[in-house]
Amino acid sequence: MDIDVKFPLKPGSTAAEITLRPGQKIIAEGGAMIAMSSNINMTTSTQQKRSGGIIKALGRMISGENFFLNHYVAGDEGGKLWLGTTHVGDMDCKELNGESLVIQGGSYVACSEDVSIDASWQGFKNLISNESMFWVKATGKGTVIFNSFGAIYTIDVDGEHIVDTGHIVAFEEGLSFTLTKAGKSWISSILGGEGLVCKFKGRGKVWIQSHNSSSFGSSLSPKLKPK
Amino acid sequence: MNVKIEAKPAFAFLRVELAPGETIIAEADAMSTMSAELDMTAKFNGGLLNGLIKKFLGGESLFVNHFTNNTSQTLSLTLVQATPGDMECKTLNGESYCLERGAYVASDPGVKLGIRWAGLGSFIAREGLFKLIVSGTGNVYFGAYGGIIEKEVKGEYIVDSGHLVGYETTMKLQPKLSNGIIGSFTSGEGFVTKVTGNGKIYLQTRNLSSFTSWVNRYL
Repeated sequence: MDIDVKFPLKPGSTAAEITLRPGQKIIAEGGAMIAMSSNINMTTSTQQKRSGGIIKALGRMISGENFFLNHYVAGDEGGKLWLGTTHVGDMDCKELNGESLVIQGGSYVACSEDVSIDASWQGFKNLISNESMFWVKATGKGTVIFNSFGAIYTIDVDGEHIVDTGHIVAFEEGLSFTLTKAGKSWISSILGGEGLVCKFKGRGKVWIQSHNSSSFGSSLSPKLKPK
Repeated sequence: MNVKIEAKPAFAFLRVELAPGETIIAEADAMSTMSAELDMTAKFNGGLLNGLIKKFLGGESLFVNHFTNNTSQTLSLTLVQATPGDMECKTLNGESYCLERGAYVASDPGVKLGIRWAGLGSFIAREGLFKLIVSGTGNVYFGAYGGIIEKEVKGEYIVDSGHLVGYETTMKLQPKLSNGIIGSFTSGEGFVTKVTGNGKIYLQTRNLSSFTSWVNRYL
């Protein structure tokens, strides 16, 4: 693992406890830092190595990620960094070795220096079921840390598997997918509350979140004050 | 059928394995992942009239989904409720049990969901005009907002409104002021529910109305 990261307090209040080697750098979304040792130096930038400048940063903003990325560099004795999440839930990581991981916009937390984040991934172009979801693609060599609303569990797809789109946290780019109806007929799908779901095909891993914020939000909204 | 409740208590969800020929019933939108070969059909939650009453007065969905394995291999799916929290399984052996509004998540086909008039006392206690009754044979999976605590009650027990998840059909719910007229409101407790009877009740450690009142302060 490029980044030494541990996830205490799973799955309800997960945080990322990161130990940086002397001089090691990690890039994290703005606002994720809970605490850090005093010898870590933090700089804010719109860009990330190989991630382009302002244009890519605007792309990230549209995708729901923070406009600014924070670069944390450890001093000569290394250092400790605690990162938290905006979602109430879990965190997990994946080690990339040149391949890509597609992550739900808003779930990205941090990554190694040599991983680039691209917000222009258009794979779900015809996403009707949930317009507020955007996706980022992480490519490169290193660790990617992401969070979720709910607990994270993984499914190794070998063949076909259906996942409700609101529950996808991340998936390996090698998987192909289609948006499809959940039931045997359109009426079944809409009445059954599932609507459009994502059918993954091929071989690869999908990270799933146990709950989804839109269903939770809908259950809260009758009790919330009108705007 | 093999059902495991995972990620308890904060984000509990059901991991279900269906053998060939088996079916599990779940409320609408409960499915988060499923094998592509499973058949999902939507049906009225106990018939049209019952379904409508359960939706408008029982907080349940009008439709339920039947997930059936019509292949020759074991298939899996995961089911979850909308609010994060704990889930529990109750095995019914012909008897009935009352569940609070919105608590039902999934059940075996042998379990029926019905409603019964709960009485005005229950309505004033803000536990609803109708009770949701599950009866029959099989497992019923229900969830809560927060953690779930089981309690054996002998005689009487006081539960703050919004924290009751399940109770025996023989129990009576009555509203009660927590202190005197003034004390109830200064203490912040207001009305509470007095549960009278013998048997098991389930409580949830959090309360959706309290959470939304807190959120409202920031809106």
